Amino acid sequence: MERNHSDNIRCIEKGQPEYPEKLKAYDHMPEKLYIKGRLPDPERPCAAVVGARMCSPYGRIQAFQYAKTLAEAGVQIISGMATGIDSEGHRGALAGGMPTWAVLGSGPDVCYPATNRNLYERILREKGGIISEYPPGTQPRNYHFPARNRILSALSDLVLVVEAKEKSGSLITAQWALEQGKAVFALPGPVNEELSRGCHRLIYDGAGLAYKPEVLLEELGINCKNTVKSSEKKNLGLASDLNMVYSCLDLRPKSRDSIMQETGLSAEKTGSILVELSILGLIREISRHYYVKIQT
Amino acid sequence: MFAAVLSAVILGMEVHPVQVEADVSDGLPSFTMVGFPSAQVKEAQDRVRTAFKNNEIALPPKRITVNFAPADIKKEGAGFDVPVAAAVLAASGILEPEVLKGVMFAGELSLNGEIHAIPGILPIVIRAREEKCRLCIVPWGNMREACLVPDMKIIGVKNLKELIIFLKAPGKYRQPCIRQETEQPGQELDFSEIRGQESLRRAVEISVSGFHNLLMIGPPGAGKTMVARRIPGIMPPLTFDESLELTKIYSIAGLLSPTDPLVRQRPFRSPHHSSPAPALAGGGRNPRPGEITLAHRGVLFLDEMPEFSRRTLEILRQPLEDRVIRISRVYGTYTFPADFILCAAMNPCPCGYYPDMNRCRCTSGQVSRYLNKISQPLLDRLDLCAEAEPVSFSSLNGRQGEASDRIRKRVEKVHEIQRNRYQKENIQFNGELKGNMIEAYCRTDAQGKALLEAAFDRMDFSARAYHRILKVSRTIADMEGSELIKKEHIGEALSYRAFDKKYWS
Repeated sequence: MERNHSDNIRCIEKGQPEYPEKLKAYDHMPEKLYIKGRLPDPERPCAAVVGARMCSPYGRIQAFQYAKTLAEAGVQIISGMATGIDSEGHRGALAGGMPTWAVLGSGPDVCYPATNRNLYERILREKGGIISEYPPGTQPRNYHFPARNRILSALSDLVLVVEAKEKSGSLITAQWALEQGKAVFALPGPVNEELSRGCHRLIYDGAGLAYKPEVLLEELGINCKNTVKSSEKKNLGLASDLNMVYSCLDLRPKSRDSIMQETGLSAEKTGSILVELSILGLIREISRHYYVKIQT
Repeated sequence: MFAAVLSAVILGMEVHPVQVEADVSDGLPSFTMVGFPSAQVKEAQDRVRTAFKNNEIALPPKRITVNFAPADIKKEGAGFDVPVAAAVLAASGILEPEVLKGVMFAGELSLNGEIHAIPGILPIVIRAREEKCRLCIVPWGNMREACLVPDMKIIGVKNLKELIIFLKAPGKYRQPCIRQETEQPGQELDFSEIRGQESLRRAVEISVSGFHNLLMIGPPGAGKTMVARRIPGIMPPLTFDESLELTKIYSIAGLLSPTDPLVRQRPFRSPHHSSPAPALAGGGRNPRPGEITLAHRGVLFLDEMPEFSRRTLEILRQPLEDRVIRISRVYGTYTFPADFILCAAMNPCPCGYYPDMNRCRCTSGQVSRYLNKISQPLLDRLDLCAEAEPVSFSSLNGRQGEASDRIRKRVEKVHEIQRNRYQKENIQFNGELKGNMIEAYCRTDAQGKALLEAAFDRMDFSARAYHRILKVSRTIADMEGSELIKKEHIGEALSYRAFDKKYWS
């Protein structure tokens, strides 16, 4: 059943005082904005977290972690609510205890993709907002998405690209951000992965290297000394078998058979150890019998 | 004059005896058939009359009436030609009606008097034994099949002439002897040909040990089909009763080999994904066994499962629970056995390479469309889900895997444990456990219970999934020879738990 999201939508015109200051500075900004929920607080810094829809588990986890760390330091996260990196960015922000904003390529009452309805409702529930330049009821079109990216970047003070192939909508956002004079950061990945190519290209062209969330905070002028947790090495106190399996995992998906080969454990033993580790929340099964470590 | 012989009609899996009566009386020459015959059976009169003519048997120019009793069952199939011919011969005085008493007839006539083999002879002969018939007359081509039934006298006839010679002087007739041949089984597929795939092999062994259904996920070319074809080879051999049961099914389906009719090997059925629902379930107005019944006591392999139409897949849900399929028609409900291991194979995404993001070219929409072809209730019924890993060069050239014989020995041992445990229940395997039987037989230790609880919260299971995990844990514990289900058994069962669509979102 299609739920109706069309109530409580406000239309803000360029002349009105509510219209975001940040957008007024640029040409080509929409005459009208349609808002559901609130607008970002102009007093607080904003960061956009964008990236590929079909992303790797590595990108997924990093997008969540970066967004969470930024949100915990009081940064407002803005993204496009697409599947993949965008959604993880929103979720990370919510996990960090901050509201988050989605800029859509459809009317603000049209939840696209429909599978993100939960997220859509959660963003509104947790005092964030849905922003669009398209009037209510507008269905998404492929040319809407590059256009909405200019609003996305204009609203933020910084753009973080997490994973992008060489031809990607995220790079359009980065391009807009550069033209608008915003800081652009890209997350590095393995050089052989296609999903890292777009990011590496950006870094080569002079974007910031987002090797830890704190560099973004520094850029935004937030003193991160007291926000960063002491990163002393934690001893997880795992049993030796568990530890052996845990330590052979990393951020890239590894199959169960190769874990068995590396550790020399039997099929029956490996299965139950992997389950135990995932119940402890230390690893995650990202596809049947493929596991990655979760950063703590 | 009046004469009657016995024949039988097969409805679904059941055989109903049919009395074929003939009467020759004065009146205008005619040949009428009554007693609810189908079009096929009605054609018998033309075949019978022409066959008589071509064998120089002159029918008297009188009024011939043939009746099939009981009249409320529709008579189907071509097997009524021979009983009609015999009844007419007796009624017109050519044969002695006495010799037809207690004899079961079945067979199809051709116009020149040859008698052709028909499907379903084995169940008919079994029924004749139950009816205490003294003799069965069957087509020569069905002889080997009919002789599988012990304690029953069988006469095989090649043509109308032989039939008459026999019936005129049963004592003098010399039956040509027939040798039961055993076909050499083809080259057995062996598990030792599979290199690597340790976790998949383990999942297959669990599946066969406890009769659990299995889902294999993996990229193209990883060896999913290769593994599936080897599953019947690690199952224990069929007992004679099971063989006979299967032969009965294959006889009705008309799929028996004429030279070696007894089904000795566990079936492996692999219907193509274009198959419609009735091909799997069984269908037709007088339903015939479908693929799931032909896979009885063996393996039903659905390759490329998401390519099957949704309707075809959904019909599997009820037989997977009940182990039989009931098909309803106007004339009644037909029950076919369907106790098989469902083994399904699929790719993780339409292109097949997820989670290798360098090769996977699918968009998230494509992936969800692909996965949505399989409903969650069906996925829930696949107790085990394992991944077929892409094979590396080193493992291709590595050491051979374990041979089927050794795996089968272990499986037999586990089956033995289950047989002893379920003596008082009407089930054989852990995979069939239901409701309070699960509570009675799946006792876990305290650590195991704690692990289950933690998993239940973290992996949000349905109640059915929870029971499936207990059943699989029971099998794993049996494989280790442990009566109590321990933590590691539950852990391993959890690692093969039913597939979840959540991975992609």
